[in-house]
Amino acid sequence: MSKPSDLVQGTLDMLLLKILALEPMNGFAVSQRLKQMSGDVLQVSDGSLYPALHKLEQEGWITAEWKTSEYGRRAKYYSLTRLGRRRLEKETDNWGRLSSAITRVIKLKEA
Amino acid sequence: MRLEHWFTKLSFWLHLLLHRREVDQELDDEIGYHLEAKTEENIAKGMTPVEARRAACIELGGEEQVKEQVWAARPGTWLETFVQDVRFGLRILRKSPGFASVAILILALGVGANTAIFSIMNGLMLRPLPVRDPERLVELLHQYPGEPPFNGFSWDAYQILRDGNHVFSDLIVGSVNFFTVRADTLQPQTVFGGNVGGTFFQSLGLHAAPGRLIGPEDVRMGSPAPVAVVSWSFWKSRFDLDPGIIGKKIVVNDAPFTIIGVTQRGFYGISEQAQQDIWLPVSLGPSPGWGFGLLGQLKPGVSIEQARAEMAGLFQRAVNAPDAGPFVKKMKLRIEPAGRGVSTPLRETLSTPVIVLMVMVGLLLLLACANLTGLLLARAASRQHEMAVRACLGAGRARLIRQTLTESLLLSMMGTALGILLAYCGTRGLIRIFGSGRQIIGLPVHFETLSKPDWHVLLFTWAIAITTALLFGAVPAIRACRPISAQSLRETARSGESRSQRLFGKSLVVSQVAVSLVLLSSAALFVGYLSHLRSLNPGFRRDHLLLVSLDTAHSGYKDAQYARLSEQLVAKLETIPGVKSATLSIVSPMQGPGASASAFEHGHADDAHNILINNVAPNYFGTYDTPLLSGRYFSAQDRDKPLVAIMNQAAARECFGTENPIGKQLTLSHITLTEGEITYEVVGVVANAKYNDIQQPAPPTIYRDLFQDGSIGSELAVRTTIAPDAVAGTIRETVSSVLKTVPIVRIMTMNEQIDASIVPERLIATLSGWFGALGALLAAIGLYGLLAYTVTRRTHEIGVRMAMGATRSDVMGMVLRDAFWTVCAGLALGAPLAFWAKSMAASLIQDLPTKSPASILFGGGVMIMLGLIAAYIPARRAMGFDPLATLRYE
Repeated sequence: MSKPSDLVQGTLDMLLLKILALEPMNGFAVSQRLKQMSGDVLQVSDGSLYPALHKLEQEGWITAEWKTSEYGRRAKYYSLTRLGRRRLEKETDNWGRLSSAITRVIKLKEA
Repeated sequence: MRLEHWFTKLSFWLHLLLHRREVDQELDDEIGYHLEAKTEENIAKGMTPVEARRAACIELGGEEQVKEQVWAARPGTWLETFVQDVRFGLRILRKSPGFASVAILILALGVGANTAIFSIMNGLMLRPLPVRDPERLVELLHQYPGEPPFNGFSWDAYQILRDGNHVFSDLIVGSVNFFTVRADTLQPQTVFGGNVGGTFFQSLGLHAAPGRLIGPEDVRMGSPAPVAVVSWSFWKSRFDLDPGIIGKKIVVNDAPFTIIGVTQRGFYGISEQAQQDIWLPVSLGPSPGWGFGLLGQLKPGVSIEQARAEMAGLFQRAVNAPDAGPFVKKMKLRIEPAGRGVSTPLRETLSTPVIVLMVMVGLLLLLACANLTGLLLARAASRQHEMAVRACLGAGRARLIRQTLTESLLLSMMGTALGILLAYCGTRGLIRIFGSGRQIIGLPVHFETLSKPDWHVLLFTWAIAITTALLFGAVPAIRACRPISAQSLRETARSGESRSQRLFGKSLVVSQVAVSLVLLSSAALFVGYLSHLRSLNPGFRRDHLLLVSLDTAHSGYKDAQYARLSEQLVAKLETIPGVKSATLSIVSPMQGPGASASAFEHGHADDAHNILINNVAPNYFGTYDTPLLSGRYFSAQDRDKPLVAIMNQAAARECFGTENPIGKQLTLSHITLTEGEITYEVVGVVANAKYNDIQQPAPPTIYRDLFQDGSIGSELAVRTTIAPDAVAGTIRETVSSVLKTVPIVRIMTMNEQIDASIVPERLIATLSGWFGALGALLAAIGLYGLLAYTVTRRTHEIGVRMAMGATRSDVMGMVLRDAFWTVCAGLALGAPLAFWAKSMAASLIQDLPTKSPASILFGGGVMIMLGLIAAYIPARRAMGFDPLATLRYE
């Protein structure tokens, strides 16, 4: 089944947390936003989105509530918790360090 | 932070657990919303509604699949799957109750046998004493060549060992004795107990429940304080946990003591088998005999080898003292670990049988596993279709393996549960065999402690359950692993197996035959040995001989009075109809250890021989039917004449060589429990008769005249002309009417007494017989299963053969030949193993007739016969096939 193979392990979590940090939204909206923001570079199938969201919910980083959507139907809206916000900060830090390290290596001039 | 995190997780789990249906409904709604929103988006892009819905589903990757993934990510899913698997497995087993009950029964027998033997082994050899640092505890034993070791030392030896050693942090005095106790509220009774030194309880790290324990202040030179400590279980069973027990008077061996304390709960003394109930301070100072039981507590870091090396030297110094007897000089010191209790005759005699039996039940379990694998293999073949269907419906390979393993585990758990039940009953039976043994120092051994289950046993049993499940579950699991082909969907149970599968099935049966040959031939060996022991000529006639053992210790009669009364008793017994003659002695053959002495021709003290002695009434040899070789028997006229003795042939040869001993003067010294020398005139030589051990050659023995000697004969023997049991009642009445104050300890026939002396041999023979039979039966069932399956599979082929002109006997011959060669392959594989097992057994048990191949031939014969019987049923079925029907069937 579709796995986010193009994503670095664990980054999907961070992306989801980041998206939800902006505003609470439902699963469908998250999937739209993900595609739109990453410009279709990150291939995240809708199928792998829900397991990931539920995992974040279990960890207590996001919480869900049922609200009426813009289509006039009830949908499950996820929002970031205090724990989630802290988690996001940590992951962002890690990502920053990792990516800058990789960038430094990549930019080494060949002798 | 961490705490908060866990709290959130926990509340989430609880929510999942308590609101399952809602949670699932929410997931449905969530996915449903996603699909709808996506569909609407697609419609907006210009797709038709049907197309739009389809595209949305494809992009999602299947509604159910996404739900599966979400579920899989949830905590506790594995448990849920497990419960599902178990329920499914139970359903499957219920659908084939025949298979399930056979499999469970086979397992139960295997597990039960293992658990029973292991729990005995655990109690006998593995369980540590509840004392401080049991691994540092050792016991000291002295051993005379050719005799069992004994934990007892003289005062001098104790002092030398105590003061000279550098390896023990403490040399503890502690023994296992038996005492007769009584109190105001307590009937006289005999219990195990011990005489202990002042450091015993302290060094073993034991505490008093109430009161205090014996300490150094209670143990003084000469006269110890008259205080006693009792065990917690004694306190509970005899005093009902009365707190007023402290200060109570108790009479032990006719001397008054004051109870000062109770040991902590769970302490049963220093022996696992003899439950000790009372401890008295030891009397320090010189005393006759070797009465000081010694335990050593190794200093930290000191190994038992170091202790052995140093103590051996010290012991040499002790036994080479100028006043030591000639036998003392030959004694050696042994130091053995005592953390699992001091060695008792029980452990000495039973550990070998238990190890042998443990090996046998291990093999039996292996056999049972092979058998079950065969059963499951046939089942897996018939379930191939089902597995293929399930794989097509989307079951992952790992999931299928888990399912089959769960089914195996289910079988093994049920088998184990039943096996534990069987083991419980089996252990009781084993203990009954143990209990039929001759009593060590007159008390039954406490076997309850042996059969007490503990976590060792439970762990062992569960380990077995899981191991067996993995062993016999592996094959179906591997089957489930195989790639699913379209063909397997079409296949039915009858269609072909690959060559390797057929070979595997056959090799399972071959290995079963091999293992059961090992079991059967060992069983034949042990059973044969037992019947050999039972038919040995002990030097007297063993049938129609009834033995009455009397407790003469507290009769109140004077010696002379007792002698007169017992003479009257013998005369009166001989008047009972059905009684031919009766006699009296101080020990009866095979009763247990007797008396010994150092014997030499008068004036030749340098040429002394260790010899067993017995004091017998004049008609002893007539009653026992031991022939006189030369000279004469004792007679009533000897009473006030010079002392006379009768030797057996072995003793005559030992002391006098080829000379005629009649009329020679023979001197005995160092007679058990007496001092000084006594000289006798030899008046007769009788044939050799066994004394204490039916398996050893008759030892040199000297008989003295019981009445001339003035000793108390407590062992009556009655030769009957009718069945001994028929006169036992009359004999009992007669004894009680003449010796009014002498209780009868027991009445048993000579054959029973001999049986009681060979408990280990009986144990091995009985159990190995059962295990061998069980193994052979399992192998036969395995063979039957294989052939029945093969014949079913080859129905079509057999039909073709018959259509082509094969006769019914051809078909039958074909099946029987198949069975015969399978069995023969098993025998060829098993024979070297059986030979090896035989030599192993011979190294553990002396005197086994290991030279002859009879036992292996017997085992082979039985297996071939069983194999043909097992093959006969499928062969008959194959013979009955109607060629037309079988061909149409396809």
